[in-house]
Amino acid sequence: MPARTRWSALVLLCLAAIAAPPDLNASPRATLQAIKERGILLWGCDISGGAPLAFVDPKDPAALLGFEADIAGAIAKELGVRSQVVQTDWDSLVPGLERGNYDMAMNGLEITPEREKRVLLSRPYYVYTLQLVVRKDEERIKSIADLPGRKVGTMAGTSADSLLKKIGNVEISAYSQTWPFDDVALGRIDAAFMDTPITAYYAKPDARLKYAGPPEGKGYYGIAIRRSDPELKTFIDTVIEKLLRSGDLKTIYDKWGLWDKAQADLAAYGTPEASRKLRAESADAPLASFLPLLLKGAGITIALSIASMALAIALGIIISVTRLYGPPALSAAATAYIEVYRGTPLLIQLFIIYYGLPNIGIVLSPVVAAIIGLGMNYAAYEAEVYRGGIEAVPRGQMEAALSVGMPRTLALRRIVFPQAFRVSLPAVTNDFIALFKDSSIVSVIAMVELTKTYSILAATTLRYFELGIIVALLYFGMSYPLSVLARSLEKKLKGRT
Amino acid sequence: MIKVRNLHKSFGDHRLFRGIDLEVARGEVVVLIGPSGSGKSTFLRCLNGLEPFQAGEVDIAGIALHSLGRARPSQADREAIRQVRLRTGMVFQQFNLFPHMTVLENIIEAPVHVLGVDRHKAEEDALTFLRRINLLHRIHARPATLSGGEQQRVAIARALAMKPQTMLFDEPTASLDPEMVGEVLAVIGDLVSQEGMTSLISTHEMGFAREVADRIIVFADGDIIETGTPEEIFTRPRHERTRTFLRRIVDVPRQEGHRA
Repeated sequence: MPARTRWSALVLLCLAAIAAPPDLNASPRATLQAIKERGILLWGCDISGGAPLAFVDPKDPAALLGFEADIAGAIAKELGVRSQVVQTDWDSLVPGLERGNYDMAMNGLEITPEREKRVLLSRPYYVYTLQLVVRKDEERIKSIADLPGRKVGTMAGTSADSLLKKIGNVEISAYSQTWPFDDVALGRIDAAFMDTPITAYYAKPDARLKYAGPPEGKGYYGIAIRRSDPELKTFIDTVIEKLLRSGDLKTIYDKWGLWDKAQADLAAYGTPEASRKLRAESADAPLASFLPLLLKGAGITIALSIASMALAIALGIIISVTRLYGPPALSAAATAYIEVYRGTPLLIQLFIIYYGLPNIGIVLSPVVAAIIGLGMNYAAYEAEVYRGGIEAVPRGQMEAALSVGMPRTLALRRIVFPQAFRVSLPAVTNDFIALFKDSSIVSVIAMVELTKTYSILAATTLRYFELGIIVALLYFGMSYPLSVLARSLEKKLKGRT
Repeated sequence: MIKVRNLHKSFGDHRLFRGIDLEVARGEVVVLIGPSGSGKSTFLRCLNGLEPFQAGEVDIAGIALHSLGRARPSQADREAIRQVRLRTGMVFQQFNLFPHMTVLENIIEAPVHVLGVDRHKAEEDALTFLRRINLLHRIHARPATLSGGEQQRVAIARALAMKPQTMLFDEPTASLDPEMVGEVLAVIGDLVSQEGMTSLISTHEMGFAREVADRIIVFADGDIIETGTPEEIFTRPRHERTRTFLRRIVDVPRQEGHRA
């Protein structure tokens, strides 16, 4: 491909990435009027948190199930619009709400004084209790009174967490991306202490586990709304009231056997029919039904990785050349860039770009933030790879080029860089393939790519292994052609030198 | 053509040149001899800006290079260096051909991309050179496939392609097998005597020096200890150091084929 076409393609790719559509809800004021005009009620939820709150239908992975999905649908219906979930990591639900990614957040958010300082919470839509879960053969732990001195898993930042801390002398294992139940069964921790809807779906049917002690505590789930949208809160409150009085709310919970506190006691000790049916369906669904969603995730991973790598390479060249040949001040700045970006976690860099920049008025869409975050991070590594390649070219090459009157930039471009490129190629290929996997980290800034899709599907169907194999094969299928391409390029270059 | 006045050069704390003076007239062939480390290479590299010098003046084909000390070169300094390099050609001990280009591409690279010469014209000129040095059959070969002698001959052609006024040869045959030294010296000898190219050559090949040099300069420890015609230096060296040096070299029996 002639050089000019290559450059044009690169520029177009970068422009396309930047021109991605911004948030639907760029202005954080979600008035009822705005929602009606938009025709969509956006609600934030972590569907990889799974059943029975909100999760993906294993028979039709494009559809959403769960009592929170039902409630969101009911609220949307009252507004005359449809509801649309915005997948967000549970820890990021409130920040995402404040940022304006969606109109409301609903995912087992407990009504607590701390939370009420930051956001408005609707009237409760569910009363939950906390349940202790232990191994089937556990004899020593009969209730939470037996917990001091033991290792207990729970979700970070919940009332279960606080209650455990209040008991005192309990070694708490905090979980956020996965449930602690497997670790109980495997013996990594002694018990798990979680909200009853979660234990009812995940722990009760598990033959390796059992409940210990009665339900503890009592708390309320509320829907989170921005402080600047009090009329939305009022509206939601009236809808919940309406659902309660009409019996529709009971119907929703009956599906999952989760209706009211008294029946929650019963339901906690029985196995809800719906859950049992759902788990059976999950286990039987043919793997092929998951392919469309997985391929969509793969497509996003590929597009993201290519755009980020393009940015990383372009920026990496600039930084390494500045470091090697620039005036002392700029060279020091280039070195500082490299050290800072290599020395801090990519995760934190993404958080700062996505959640921190809005504080100074820069609001980026998830796609743009992801590409910038990945690109700038990898650029630091690329810069060092290129520096190594350039320094590997014998000094005599530059001297010969200079001695025939070439200006330094021409000598770099035509004599040093082509040779440096050949030396660097294996390392660059390495980084590119690593980037494909690292791209999964962008799930923390609300992008659903292949790994996040896997989490969501696996949490619902519990088929971690089979789905895991498929996803691993998909990643391999994306990286391997790259390896082959790079190797053939190396061979071609070898023929030249 | 070349005027060097009071040249001072240090590497860090080590002072090498402490005031060198030299003049080379147009068409003159000056050969530098002396032990390794005496500064012959460094001296040549000071002339085309590959080495900065701390004091003194260098004047090449009318362009003045100034001393830099520790400062970064200014825009004017850099431009002067570039002008000097356009007028001088350098041939390195390690050849330094561009490995990712063919022989032909090596030779036309600078004329086309630095002088803006039309590519076809540059290729024609290159072919003329290559014909003269008997390498026409290798024009599309890559340097890695050439012998050392062939590579050095191409390197000479590459330097000449820029039509310089002066040529600097930094130990051009020191890396070659003995069988190939002859073919390269033949080319250089042809260039300096028939073309009348102003040249500065640093070498250990005494037979060659004797044959082509108009003047011989003897270097030792960063100083010019003696200058003279080949006749004077080789048969009646005045300085003790020169005598010691020559004794060690000339005692080794010469091999055939070095007289071009």
